Amino acid sequence: MASVETASAPRDGHRVASAAESGQRGGDIVCSGLYKWFGDSPVIASLDLYVARNQFVCVVGPSGCGKTTLLRMMAGLASIDSGTIAISGQRVTEPLASVAVVFQHYGLFPWKTVFHNVALPLRAAGVTKGEAARRANDALKLVGLNDIGNQYPAQLSGGMKQRVGLARALAIQPEVVLLDEPFAAVDAQTREILQEELLALWSRYQQTAVFVTHSIDEAITLADRVIVMGAKPGRILDDIEVPIGRPRSVASVRRHESYAPLREQIWEQLRGSSTAGGERG
Amino acid sequence: MAQRVEPKAVGAATPAGPQGDVAVISDTVLGAQIRDARRRRARRARRRFLAIRLISLVVVFGAWQIYGMHTIAILFAPISTVLHQGYLLFAHDQLGSQLGYSMWTFACGYAIGVAIGIVLGMLMGAYRWAEAAASMYVFALYATPMVALVPIISLWIGFDATAQIVIIALFVTWPMTVTVFHGVRQIDAELMEVSRSLRLNRRQMWVHVLLPGAVPFVITGATQGVAMGLVGVIIAELQTQLSGLGDALQTQSQTYHTAAALAVILLIMVLGVGLRAILGLVHHRAVPWLRIDRGDGAQR
Ligand SMILES: Nc1ncnc2c1ncn2[C@@H]1O[C@H](COP(=O)(O)OP(=O)(O)OP(=O)(O)O)[C@@H](O)[C@H]1O
Ligand SMILES: [Mg+2]
Repeated sequence: MASVETASAPRDGHRVASAAESGQRGGDIVCSGLYKWFGDSPVIASLDLYVARNQFVCVVGPSGCGKTTLLRMMAGLASIDSGTIAISGQRVTEPLASVAVVFQHYGLFPWKTVFHNVALPLRAAGVTKGEAARRANDALKLVGLNDIGNQYPAQLSGGMKQRVGLARALAIQPEVVLLDEPFAAVDAQTREILQEELLALWSRYQQTAVFVTHSIDEAITLADRVIVMGAKPGRILDDIEVPIGRPRSVASVRRHESYAPLREQIWEQLRGSSTAGGERG
Repeated sequence: MAQRVEPKAVGAATPAGPQGDVAVISDTVLGAQIRDARRRRARRARRRFLAIRLISLVVVFGAWQIYGMHTIAILFAPISTVLHQGYLLFAHDQLGSQLGYSMWTFACGYAIGVAIGIVLGMLMGAYRWAEAAASMYVFALYATPMVALVPIISLWIGFDATAQIVIIALFVTWPMTVTVFHGVRQIDAELMEVSRSLRLNRRQMWVHVLLPGAVPFVITGATQGVAMGLVGVIIAELQTQLSGLGDALQTQSQTYHTAAALAVILLIMVLGVGLRAILGLVHHRAVPWLRIDRGDGAQR
């Protein structure tokens, strides 16, 4: 089992920061000619996407257009019917050690304490007990949850649960983080706080992320690049750079001059896709 | 923002609070008060529960007593006579050793049944091949009254304790297997996906996901198994070689010692209730994540 250890993950947990700061951390994602069928209709058709290392990409699109499916394929959780996905040059056929997923419904094990939830993937990757404990605690500290390690998930609020989910993803020092509507299940206020925290985290430890969301605001706030997907079949309608520098805050993004036009542009795309349906392209 | 923080800070700095001011209570004091109130409420709820239970016992046993005193002794007996007969059976007959014998066969059969149920149920729940191979027989046997198998078992194994243990095990195994099977199947599909994403290997999957996830169902199955196992004990003892509590029951009722027979029945009931209570305690200890304070003062 020890051999499963992430090849590029530094052995020493303390080097997380330095590795990230020197830009060594993120991996790139190459999706080419992706197809996915459910039944006889293609859910994703001929999709190409390149995500550069350390880029934060948000994916927006109407409900049912295949965002989750795309993310699950990247995560190695759904089979790829045609085409390929490569992460850091490694072909995805099963969940990769260098990829971490943050789930919409947290995906925490109710019978494990917060600490053990975070430490589990480390232990699974063959990290020694002491080392796993240190890294788990570091990750919990990173998301501001140092003192609830021995509580059970049922004792936490939704926002705290998702912080644990985030800590678990970051603890393995992945090259790519995939997040499927991670903040969709929490209230608007908590959501904004979590966005703020994520921005702060990313300004320190920039790394590759694909973040699926329904919220255009959230996408602009977080992303370097917004991918707009259309439905039936799922494909990329638009690929928009967000010209807002970092470090950012939720408020500074809202005040930015390009915020409103960007928002308008994405809205137009989505409206077009939902009314024109399959007639586009 | 600053305004909201202020009273907290003041309260923490001066726990007593200035007398004339709006009552400022420190968080810790308030917290302790709320905790105490909640505990009091929980205690009151518990007491009420026990009181109702006690009243219910008094009413039922009172009715039994009165009715028993006004019927023919061959048909029924008041609870006082039943208890006295029970005492006599223990003191001067062999009810003690009969109880010991029954408990021993029960323990063996129950343990075998629970063990097979856990292994079979978990395998069928976790692996398609196991389900494909075994589930038809399990569900067929689950739907079959095990009493129907008793004569055949006697034919194959005989009439001794071994045969009885096998019969008891059969009573426990199938409901246990079915419950555990459904339990494993009910483990959240998302959690299974999470385990794949975390790259758990097969052993880790069992240790960290399947086994802990199935614990509540194993205990539910084991609790049902107590009732099934006790049925098995009595049936086995009546249908193979007359022995144990079954012997006591049969002997007393066939000789029209109704009060004594009722005493044996009462003993079997107490056994069932007691064993369930023990499993309730095990449940409480085994699943700490399910007894979390939900803020309603209820004890779980
Ligand atoms: N297991 C499945 N079997 C059949 N169809 C499926 C399955 N999973 C997804 N689909 C279909 O694939 C399409 C895309 O689903 P997906 O969950 O990827 O959408 P989504 O963009 O994530 O939607 P939402 O924004 O509502 O989460 C939907 O039309 C859905 O009905
Ligand atoms: Mg989705």
